[in-house]
Parts: sequence; C-alpha cells; structure tokens
Amino acid sequence: MMRGNRIFLTCFYWAFVLYVFIPLILMITMGFKDSKFIGFPIRSWTLDWYASVFSNTEILSTFGYSVTIAVLATLISVFVGTWIAVLLEGRKFWGRMVIMGLTVMPALVPGIISAIAFRIYARLLGIEPGMGAIVWSHAVHTVPFVALVVMARLSTLPKSQIEAARDLGADPLIAFVRITLPYLIPAIIGASIFCMLISFDDFVRSFFLGGYEPTLPVLIFAKLRSGMSPEINAIATVALVLTAAIGIWAERFTRRMNKDS
Amino acid sequence: MTLDTSTATDARSGDPKDGGRSVWARLATWTPYHAMMSLVTASPRRQFLILAIFPIIWVLTQHLGPMLQMLRVSLTDAYPVAPGVEQNLTLDNYARFFADSIFMMPFFRTLVYAAVFTFCTLIITYPVAYFLARHVSRKNQMLMLLLLLTPFWVGEIVRTYAIMILLGNTGALNLALKWLGLIEQPIPFMYTSFSMGVGVVYLTALYMLLPLYSALEKLPKSMNEAAADLGAGPWTRFRRVTLPMSIEGISSGCTLVFLISTGFYAVAVLLGGPSTTVFAETIAGFFHVAGDQWPTGAAFATIMFATALLITGVFQMIMKSLRKGDLT
Amino acid sequence: MTDQTPLVRIEGVSKHFGDTVALDNLTLDIARGEFVTFLGPSGCGKSTTLRILGGFERPTSGRVILDGKDVTTQPPEKRQVNMVFQDYALFPHMTVKQNISFGLELKGMDKRGIQRRSDEIMAFLELSAFGDRYPGQLSGGQRQRVALARALAPNPALLLLDEPLGALDAKLRGQVQQELKSIQRRTNKTFFFVTHDQEEALTMSDRIVVMNQGKVEQDGTPEDLYFHPASRFVAEFIGETNLLSGEMRGHEDGAVVMDWFGQTLRGHAPAGAPRTGAPITASVRLEKLGFHAERPATANAVQGKVVGKTFLGSRMAVDLMIEDAQGATLRAFVDAETGQTVGADPVWVGWDSDSMAVLRD
Repeated sequence: MMRGNRIFLTCFYWAFVLYVFIPLILMITMGFKDSKFIGFPIRSWTLDWYASVFSNTEILSTFGYSVTIAVLATLISVFVGTWIAVLLEGRKFWGRMVIMGLTVMPALVPGIISAIAFRIYARLLGIEPGMGAIVWSHAVHTVPFVALVVMARLSTLPKSQIEAARDLGADPLIAFVRITLPYLIPAIIGASIFCMLISFDDFVRSFFLGGYEPTLPVLIFAKLRSGMSPEINAIATVALVLTAAIGIWAERFTRRMNKDS
Repeated sequence: MTLDTSTATDARSGDPKDGGRSVWARLATWTPYHAMMSLVTASPRRQFLILAIFPIIWVLTQHLGPMLQMLRVSLTDAYPVAPGVEQNLTLDNYARFFADSIFMMPFFRTLVYAAVFTFCTLIITYPVAYFLARHVSRKNQMLMLLLLLTPFWVGEIVRTYAIMILLGNTGALNLALKWLGLIEQPIPFMYTSFSMGVGVVYLTALYMLLPLYSALEKLPKSMNEAAADLGAGPWTRFRRVTLPMSIEGISSGCTLVFLISTGFYAVAVLLGGPSTTVFAETIAGFFHVAGDQWPTGAAFATIMFATALLITGVFQMIMKSLRKGDLT
Repeated sequence: MTDQTPLVRIEGVSKHFGDTVALDNLTLDIARGEFVTFLGPSGCGKSTTLRILGGFERPTSGRVILDGKDVTTQPPEKRQVNMVFQDYALFPHMTVKQNISFGLELKGMDKRGIQRRSDEIMAFLELSAFGDRYPGQLSGGQRQRVALARALAPNPALLLLDEPLGALDAKLRGQVQQELKSIQRRTNKTFFFVTHDQEEALTMSDRIVVMNQGKVEQDGTPEDLYFHPASRFVAEFIGETNLLSGEMRGHEDGAVVMDWFGQTLRGHAPAGAPRTGAPITASVRLEKLGFHAERPATANAVQGKVVGKTFLGSRMAVDLMIEDAQGATLRAFVDAETGQTVGADPVWVGWDSDSMAVLRD
C-alpha cells in the first residue's frame, strides 16, 4: 500500500512538471516555425522570426522601456521597503501590527482592483499615465516583498552588533550604514531581483497606468489581440529566457547567502 | 607600554589639513552633522519618531490611500470633475450594480470561477506538495522544488500565451488527441471556462504549492509512524493526522489563490470568450470609455474587493475552527 | 592617576521594565583604576547596571556621573566608555584591524594615528599576526582578545565587560582570567566586570558587588566577601559554607555570642547585630574548621563523629555529626592525609571567632 502510494505520487509529481513545462516548450518551439500560421504540425524550421525581432527597433525600445521601469521601480521599492523593515524589526511599538498589515496589503489586493485603484490615485496625485505612473505603481506593489525579505534577514542580526557600533562612537545613522547595511546586502540584492522580475512581468498595472508607449507584456498583449504570429513567440521566448535565467540565479544566490550566515 | 599617553588625546585636535582622514572620520567630527545627529538622538522617543514618520506616511498614503480614494470616488457622481461641475455624494453607482443582471452575472461568475479554480489548484498541487515534503530526501527537495518554480518566473502574459498554443484548435492538445485517434474534429477548448481554468491554475499553482509545502514540511515524520503504530490505516492516517496538520497551508494557499483569481484580467481577455465574461472585464470597461464612468468602476471594484475579502475572511475563520476542533 | 574623585558615581539609580524592578535605588562609587565586579544570578540587576553605564538603557530615576559629568541621558556614542560584549559582537565583514580601527576612526583620528594606535594595541594583546584575518577565521580566545583590543583602542575612561569569558572553555578561561587581570594592572584602567561566576569574580577583582533582586547584597574585597559574608545569600552564593542557625546571646570582647544547639559559639559580627534572643545564622567556611584529637584552645570547639568522607584529590571533605547538638552536621575540608586518619573515634573541631560570620537576615 505504501509502495503503491509512492509510485502514484512520483508519477503525479512528474506529470505536474510536464504540465508546467510543456506549454512553455511548445511556445518556444513555435517561434522556430517557418510559417506565418500558428499551429501544429511544424514542417520546416527557421530563425527568421528572431532576426525580425532583433532588427525591430520598436520591440527593442519596448524592451529597454520595460527594463528602465523595472530598475527605477526597484530602486524606490528597495529604499522604502528596507526603511519599513528597519522600523518593524526594531523595538515593539503601539500600532506595529497595523503598520505591518498595511505594509503587506498591496501584495494581496487582486490585480484588477489594484490597477484601477492606482489609476484613480495617480489622478489625485497628479501623475499622468506613462512611465512615471507605471514606475510608481510597481514600486508600491513590490514594497511588501522587499519589506518581508529584509525583515527576515534583519531578525537574524544580533542586537549586540549595533550596540557595539554605537559603543565605539557611531551614531544611529553611521551604525546603520556601516554595520546593518552590509549585513542586509544579500537580502537586498535578492529582493531587488525579485522586484525587477515582478515589475518586468507585470501586465495589469502597466496596462491601466501606461501612456502611449507599451511595456513588453502590454505589447505582447496588444499583438495577441490582433492575432497570433510566430514573431510573438520569439519575443515571448526572449523575455522568458531572460526572466527565468535571472530568477533561477536569484533563487540560488539568496539560498547560498542564507546558508553562509 | 603606555596605553594612556597614546594618540587618543590628540584625536579631535588632529591637524584638519591632514587629508589622511577617512570619510567616516570626517563625517563623525563634522560640526553640522554632529549637531544634527545630536538633535536626532536627544531622546529615544524623538529618534523613534524620526525613524517611524516616513514609513507611516508611506503606508498610509501609498498603500491605504489608493484604496480609500477608490472608495471615495465610488461615492461621487462625477470623477474626474470637469470644471464648473459640482461633485455630489451619491450611492447611485452601487445601486447600478444591483439594478442590472448584465453586471450581476459576471460578478457571480467570477466568484464561482475563483472558488472552483481555487479548489482545482488545491487538488492538483496537494499531492505534489505532499510528495515533495514527505517522500523526497532533503537534498533533492530543494532541487525538485526549484524545478517547479522556474516556469513561474515567466510573466503572466507569456504563460497565458503558452496556454493558448496548447489549447488552440490547431494546438498541441488537439493534435495529440487526433493522432491518438480519439477525435476526428478538433475540440474547441479555447474561449471557454475550461481554457480559463487551465490558465488560472497554471498561473496560480505556485501560490498554492509553497504554503502547502511549508506546512507539510513542518509536520514530523514520526507523527505518521505513531499513528501507524496505533493501527491507523493509510486513509485514516491521512484524514486524521496529515490533513488537519496541513490546514494552515491550505488556508493561506486558498486565500491567496482566491484573491488572485478574482483579479485576473489578461487571462479572461485572452483565454475567455463572450460566455465567460468576468467582473474584472466589466470593471475594466468603465475605464476604457469616457472618464465619467470612473465612479461606477470604482464602486464595482469596491464591491468585488469587499466580497472577496469577506469570503476569504469567513473561509479563514472556518479553517481556524476546524484546526482547533481537530487538535482538542 | 592621583585624582581622588570617583570615576563613576551612581546616584539612586532605579530601572523598571513594566512592572518588574530590575534595579532598585542603587548608589555606588567606582574609584579610578579599580577592577570592580558585579556578581549575582541572572536577573539580579548586574547587566542592567552595565547597560545603564554603557548608555544602552536609561534609568527610570537617578543619575550617573562619569568623571564629574552627568551622562545619564547621553547616548553610548558620546560616552568615554567602551564595552566587551558577551558574544564579542565583532563585525564579521571587517578584518581584525578594521574592527579595532572602527572606534578610532569615529573619533576623527587621521589614518596615521589610527595605524599607530591599532598597531600598538595589537602588539600589546599579541594580535599583530591576525590583523588581516576576519573574525570568522579566529579561535574563541583570539576573538575575545580582539573584542578587548577594540574596546581598549579608543582609550576609554571605563571599560565594561559583560561576562566575556562565558563562551570560552574551562581551561582557557583560567588563563584568560590571569591575562585580563594583568592587562588591567598594566593599563591602569577602570574595569567594570559583570559575571554570575563567583570563582571568576574572586580571582580577578579588587572589589566585588554582590547583587540580588536589583539590590546590593554586599560590597567589599573578595576576602571580605568570602570569609565575612554579610548575608545568607552571599554566604551561599560564594563558595561552600556551613550555615549554623542559633540564637543571639549577646556581645563579648567585640564578638557576638550565640547559642547553637546548646553549644556557645563566638563569631564576627556585622554592624547592628540583632538583639539578644533573636534567631540568627552564622557561616563558617569549610577550610576554617581545624581537626584536633583534644579539645583545642580556639574560641569555638565542638566534638563530633565522622559520618561521611568525600575524596577531592588534594583534599577531602569530611561530614561530622556533632554530639549534643540534636544531630546537627558540619562539613570541613582537611588535607587528604588527615582525612584518612580520622575515623571511628570522635574528633574535636575548632575555629576562631573571626572565622565565623554572623549573617544579616
């Protein structure tokens, strides 16, 4: 009985792996199909779609636009998230749990609601739809992830480290920059990469807060609505390879860092 | 050895023209900075306030603010306000929702979809999480988990597109079925609740898998053995020991997936059809047209969010009482 | 260092954490160049005192005067006080040299000065060979020395040591105790040491303050505390002792006379001994009891029978049942040879009146 169970579960696991990978593999394969028509079977192969993607300035600039947004949003989000984490991991204070709850809230609001709430609020703040609005919404959306990751790391920093620095003449700010910050670096790097991926992949906020210039997911979405083409597969594959590679690297990086300390 | 006559005495009177001092040495003795930090650290209370003021303002204005503004706009008759037009408070936007089944249908469809898809995700990922946590050696656990996590780094749109290729009329699934001789004509999977379900499960599996895995992983193996010792069969063991212990993971996983499922927009547009319109599309519709529809959109989003929170809140309470009931 | 004003003056300092009183109205002076140890069980207030001196806690009431200046509300970075932490708190991302230079740099010292001072202190503590290593690459004893070097480098007026030997193994600890004492002598610095280990306190200190429940139990030299404990708590906390419960009889030639199960004993009295007839307790150290075949001429002498012997290597612990004292027992240390000869016959034990301390309740 135990054995049967085990075999069943092993098969189930690998079936799940297939379920998770097959659609992506199919999509990648389709990018090499030598025909305008999406669908199986594939009779001849080509690299033309990739060539056309890499020579298309609109796509390349969209790519750059998405990366710029991701970097800017991450800078803001890391700054704010780290500050919040330092506050929440410090001494207990009245209302701490309320601040904690509000901190994680943006990560829990369903996508469409978050997007339109940002859209309405951007109007109130006077931010025009476009890059600024997207950066701002991505930054707010990713703050919870930074705060949680940094808090986890901060909770393992012995209190005596900061006290020793203060004791040796460092004021709170110098102690933070010279002792706390170096300790947090692995967590901050890990969180930054996650934030960049979230921002780079985000569709719904970019869609509702964007101006005329689309981000990469918005561009793919727009192209999909006007019909499928192997060119989209090529774009998507480039995005996929990039994000997956960075994601895996970040995952390994944070694991190694956590093991080291 | 004369430790006392040492350089410490000339520390501050050191030659200021001497460029050999580090940034920190100069900063720490720079009078304006010093004066500022003395003000900051004058009392622990003041120091705490200076630390706390920015995060508190941020979460109130940036995290809570958009939600409150959405609520406020939902109660007005015009937004954005045109010049010369007076803005009035009204409940009309909410009344509009209850007045027309055109809005009610997508709303309830969304809730049913979210519930069903959440349940499907749970059923599919539970054995995977259970297998990883209970049947795999610790060394392989991380590797096998990582294998599953990798595709999730790929964005929502790309993965949705991948599902389109899988399920299309000339897609891989139809091709495979035809090749197996099971069908003659392609089955129209796309633009149905089926395609949406496949898409949602595909996008949310991770959010269910991780909480389940961490809950099951915490469960000591000896517990099952103890239960087996007492003569409990595999099914009884699962029902009486494993399941109650993983309720925490089920509870948070389902909450997360349910909330995410109610908010999907791109999946609904790309994988759904006219018969599967969900509330996210209804809400989005108010933002594509002229600005005076915003209050209605805000009201509908508020209704959606409040309902989703209510459902997950009740769900979590039920799960909590289940857990307590099983432990006593 | 001829200044006679105390370096530290603690004036009526109390510290409350919510409802618990960690420190209850402590008043104390610490002289320059003194090695003073705060000794007590955990939660007695010794660490709170240390943290108040370091500036990590603010007293609920009272004042702390350092070198004539009121520092009660000064943050740690403004005080001429440095600390050796229990876990050393070395900065893991800095080398030994960078750790030691940290405090010097923040004093605004130039690079040459820092170089000179850190070389000097590393040579002094025999750390010169480890300057470029990271704390993670050092042994426990080396880390402890780096922590000490880092704290001594900025030339503090007062050095605080928070159980710095706790993390070392027993063998190394003895060696480090000697080292620490000698460093204190050579630098002529004021050391404020906190420990729960009575042996450590006795070996190193010029002065020991025994704390219990936020209050000072006794304040004196190690010898004072050991041979003339003022209270039952001190007598029991430091070393092993015989506690004799009896009744106050009166004074005679500066000694207290007490009745112990019908035996009249004379002891050393604290100021303000209780009134006649009151129940009192006295303490006699095990090694102060001498064995005699005949009744000795000491102020106190009782006869007893050996009921148990414990071999301890260089000496032996002997348990005696005292005759005519309702089965009361005494425990004594004797050298191993004497221990072997005593046996079935009743023996006399004697001790001076000065060896027995009458305790405050």
